Amino acid sequence: MSEAKRNWREDVKVFRERMGGLTEEKKAMSKDQRDTTKAIQGALKGGPRTVPEISAETKIPSHKVLWYIMAMKRFGKVAEAGQAGDYFRYELKEASS
Amino acid sequence: MAKIKERYDGLVLGGGIAGMQASLDLAGQGYDVLLVEKEPSIGGVMVGLNKVFPTLDCSSCICTPRMAETAHHERITLQAYTEVEEIRREGDGFRVKLIKKPRYVVEEDCIGCSKCELACTILAPHEFDYGLGARGGIYIPHGNAIPQVAVLDPNYCIFDGACARACPTDCIDFTQLPEEVNVEVGAVIIATGLKVTPMNAKKEYGGGKHLNVMNPLAMERVQSSNGPYGHVLRPSDGKIAKSVAYVQCAGSRDKSIGVPYCSRVCCMYALKQGIMIKHHRHETEVTIYHMDIRAFGKGYEQFYRRAMAEGIRVVKAKVARITEEANQDLTLRVELIDEGGRVADMRHDLVVLSLGTIPGWRPNGRVPAETDDDGFFRIREVTTRPANSSRDGIFVAGVATGPKDIPDAIVEAGAAAMEAAMYLDRTWSRRAALVGAGVEA
Repeated sequence: MSEAKRNWREDVKVFRERMGGLTEEKKAMSKDQRDTTKAIQGALKGGPRTVPEISAETKIPSHKVLWYIMAMKRFGKVAEAGQAGDYFRYELKEASS
Repeated sequence: MAKIKERYDGLVLGGGIAGMQASLDLAGQGYDVLLVEKEPSIGGVMVGLNKVFPTLDCSSCICTPRMAETAHHERITLQAYTEVEEIRREGDGFRVKLIKKPRYVVEEDCIGCSKCELACTILAPHEFDYGLGARGGIYIPHGNAIPQVAVLDPNYCIFDGACARACPTDCIDFTQLPEEVNVEVGAVIIATGLKVTPMNAKKEYGGGKHLNVMNPLAMERVQSSNGPYGHVLRPSDGKIAKSVAYVQCAGSRDKSIGVPYCSRVCCMYALKQGIMIKHHRHETEVTIYHMDIRAFGKGYEQFYRRAMAEGIRVVKAKVARITEEANQDLTLRVELIDEGGRVADMRHDLVVLSLGTIPGWRPNGRVPAETDDDGFFRIREVTTRPANSSRDGIFVAGVATGPKDIPDAIVEAGAAAMEAAMYLDRTWSRRAALVGAGVEA
């Protein structure tokens, strides 16, 4: 391992400036991701749901819901919970509910 | 990570299956090899595939041991996440200028624990899953990546330092910059692989706008057990696909988009993917619309027969256009060749375009070897020296010379390594021996 302890708090400030700062676009992306995740988690707090059901409840387009559900599944926050017709149902995993 | 030396016998460009095989075969003959890969991991396209045809063996199960062997070979130095800036002839060998891209992670210190990614508060489309899955702003390229080292994507960084705070080895380094690396090599093997034609190349097939019209490499990820969905679902709404269509030659044998040649692997991967869809869910209907099925390799005809026995519908037809319905089903207007050219509208809930194979890398003057009009590297003597480029000391392998399947790419990589070894023996090794003996070559 490298010997010198990195001063990442200072380094990240320099990095931020070098990359053009925290742009409005990035701020909007970050906010949208937080809001979308929160809305989907909110819908799932009512019990297992399919992607179209979450989409109808949150008014978020179904392809976007699917992308977030698969991201949450990958990071261990959501699990499959059986099927409803042509769709899988998803539920919050206990630790994240 | 091994320290870069100033001099290598061979330089291999591209860490896909052909580049790895060429590196192993050259290193196995006692030559020191520098393997340069532009992505953060070696493995190329193959490591992302689900199965290989005609055996239906697990692709990553074949590719991953080859990746490990390459990375651990004592005569191979792996330089991932690095681009070629210039290769210039100098005496018997070549002067090479490389640019190592910043990972913002100290490779020697990263233990691949993913704690940085779990701490990251941003999601980004995952390139390995063709955007269908998500990754963090900092991430390990994929589960089988070699090196198993994180990479930070500045486009998805909000500079909150969450990754650095979570890192147990203090390996996040925001100060990294692109680094120039200069080496001298005796021979070059180009194995820069493939890309597929863009989804928006054919406006009549939706121009990339229909969510349920897919790239075949994305379908490989969808079918993989470690893929973005774990099931064959359609991207628009997660519906279990019950009727899947393949449109063949959707980017090959098509002068209108500059790809007049046959991509050689599409018929076989469509049949393979069709079989795998059936293995996921037997009731799903799979229809392949084609001009003709080209099953030319060892065991391929039998594989074609097997696909039909497993219920894949193979329909000789030309697809004129694809339109999206209100529920995001897709209607294909097809001309049914075996029914006298009758035109019919066929409805499916998922469509895969068998896109054309195009060169994975364009040299644009950075390598003193010529390409043909199609962008693939020119071969000096097509029938007798298929691994020799148009220039002495530069050899070519795999899809860098034209579309081919995995077995052919591996055979060609072995041939390129042997040609390079013979060239080095005539020039480079002889010079080294003379210099070592105090006699200038």
